[in-house]
Amino acid sequence: MTEIEDLIHIEAALLDDRRYHDWLDLFTQDCLYWVPVAAEMVSPRDGPSHFHDDRQVMMVRTHRLANPRAFGAEPAPRTVHIVSGVRIERDNADGIVVASSQIMLEYRNRDRFEDDQRVFGGRVRHRLIRTENGLRIAEKRIDLINAEGAFNAMAAPI
Amino acid sequence: MASQLYNPDPSSLVTRDHVHRSVYTDPAIFDLEMARIFGRSWLYLAHDSELPSPGDYVVRHMGTQAVILTRAKDGVVHAIFNRCAHRGATLCAFDRGQAPNGHQCPYHGWTFNADGSVRFVSQAVNYAEVLDPANSGIPQIRLESYRGFIFGNLDNDAGPLSEFLGHMKSTIDDLVDRSPTGRIEVGAYKLRHYYRANWKMTFENLNDTVHPGFAHAASVVSAKAVANAVGGDNIVPTVGMMMANGKPIQFFQDLDMVTTPGGHSYIGGHMGADYTPNTADAYTAALIAHHGAERAREVLSVDRHLMLLYPSSFWHARYQTVRIIRPVRHDLTEMIGFTFRLIGAPPETHVNAIEYCTGANSAASPVIADDLEIYERLLLGNRTGSQEWIPMSRGLNEDRETTNIFTRTPATSEAFIRNQFASWSAMMART
Repeated sequence: MTEIEDLIHIEAALLDDRRYHDWLDLFTQDCLYWVPVAAEMVSPRDGPSHFHDDRQVMMVRTHRLANPRAFGAEPAPRTVHIVSGVRIERDNADGIVVASSQIMLEYRNRDRFEDDQRVFGGRVRHRLIRTENGLRIAEKRIDLINAEGAFNAMAAPI
Repeated sequence: MASQLYNPDPSSLVTRDHVHRSVYTDPAIFDLEMARIFGRSWLYLAHDSELPSPGDYVVRHMGTQAVILTRAKDGVVHAIFNRCAHRGATLCAFDRGQAPNGHQCPYHGWTFNADGSVRFVSQAVNYAEVLDPANSGIPQIRLESYRGFIFGNLDNDAGPLSEFLGHMKSTIDDLVDRSPTGRIEVGAYKLRHYYRANWKMTFENLNDTVHPGFAHAASVVSAKAVANAVGGDNIVPTVGMMMANGKPIQFFQDLDMVTTPGGHSYIGGHMGADYTPNTADAYTAALIAHHGAERAREVLSVDRHLMLLYPSSFWHARYQTVRIIRPVRHDLTEMIGFTFRLIGAPPETHVNAIEYCTGANSAASPVIADDLEIYERLLLGNRTGSQEWIPMSRGLNEDRETTNIFTRTPATSEAFIRNQFASWSAMMART
């Protein structure tokens, strides 16, 4: 359990530290990073998503965050994740499904007062599998409490 | 409301090739737009398939006003304002649902039928000879449909929908004709984003083919870097779409843009590169079975990028995606994306539409995030400095063909913006 709980915390910390290469290394080659628009969605094929990323799209996203001309990330967002209630939901042949509650505070200094800080939060599920390189994330699904709502530009992965 | 204090004169804000910046920054102009543009145009509201059974309803917006579309027992869809005729509270709290017994106000329980007629008035005895329920309903909004797409108009004197759509009917045909059964249905989920700037900025951006090479340069560079890392043949469609924004501007100069009266436009040719599901053969076979080989070839040969249906919707037939704009304030706008399933086509076809919608309408899309940032910078910038007039003159002398139906220009032209403002000033000048 400690190893698993550590991984969930490390993953969040790597995002907050903007160590995207190390972040990507935590995921499997055929991973899924998914933020659906409704909690009842079973698959990203059910409808459009806020994020529906495979590894390539995650690579583009994180490469872009480092690009000085990515207007939607200029200045780059600063984030802090608060991770709580980590527990194993399921452990079977498909992997270990770990649920947690997470809040991400995001700040971009655009000289627009309280509009510059946002809160994203919801239930996160990681599906982990054991590989020869250790525990890896095969799937990260984030069910935001306001999933069906309208969002303004999002650059930082949640 | 600022409009109580001064009356803007909209006829002085647009010239042939310039627009005054107050059209974006002035709340009083926005109020006037809601009355004269959104209050008079045909606005796409919902698709037939969103209301399959009697009692089904959806709530949509016409400008800043919420309206309820409900299918009545006799199968007819009606639209009424989301406002109780008694004290004025909103009736529906959800954006869709089932109300087979009418819409009941939570305040005093007055209840209304799909068509707005009164179904129940509480403590009716107190109203004896005081108020006639038959005259206390909610006004109905005029609806007309084209091929299953339901449009509303707040102006009872407006011309028919068919006239409003004109040549642009062909893009709606393009969408529906791509179905191997001739039938389509709306996807179960919609995708919404918003930005803190003016609604017109989306209209002026989505057919602007010069901005992608600059505004989206970061995602082009990043997509290319990933393509190099994984090998160009191995890239996924989403990454391919981002790379397509990096096409040389000459590519767009050679494409056509088509503008039509009413402020509408579309671009010919296709920006999305290879974004075809690998079940294309099964899909084509199904389409041929329905249409015959010749007609199927015709249907598939239509190659249009986005159609902008002024002032409220954006249509991508090839990716079965329709987006509605919802102006909230002069400085706040929402976009709502819907996908459509071509009934009878392989499931991959709808997945393709879903992926397009995600790439084109998610606030987290690396492409859209940059657009949203630009819209907000446009509003902030235009509140600054002494330059009051914004040029919209790119391609002013490059029209390629004008018929009595449309005008054809290079796709790099700002002709579509001039066309929007020609319509804007005509509607805004009508008192």
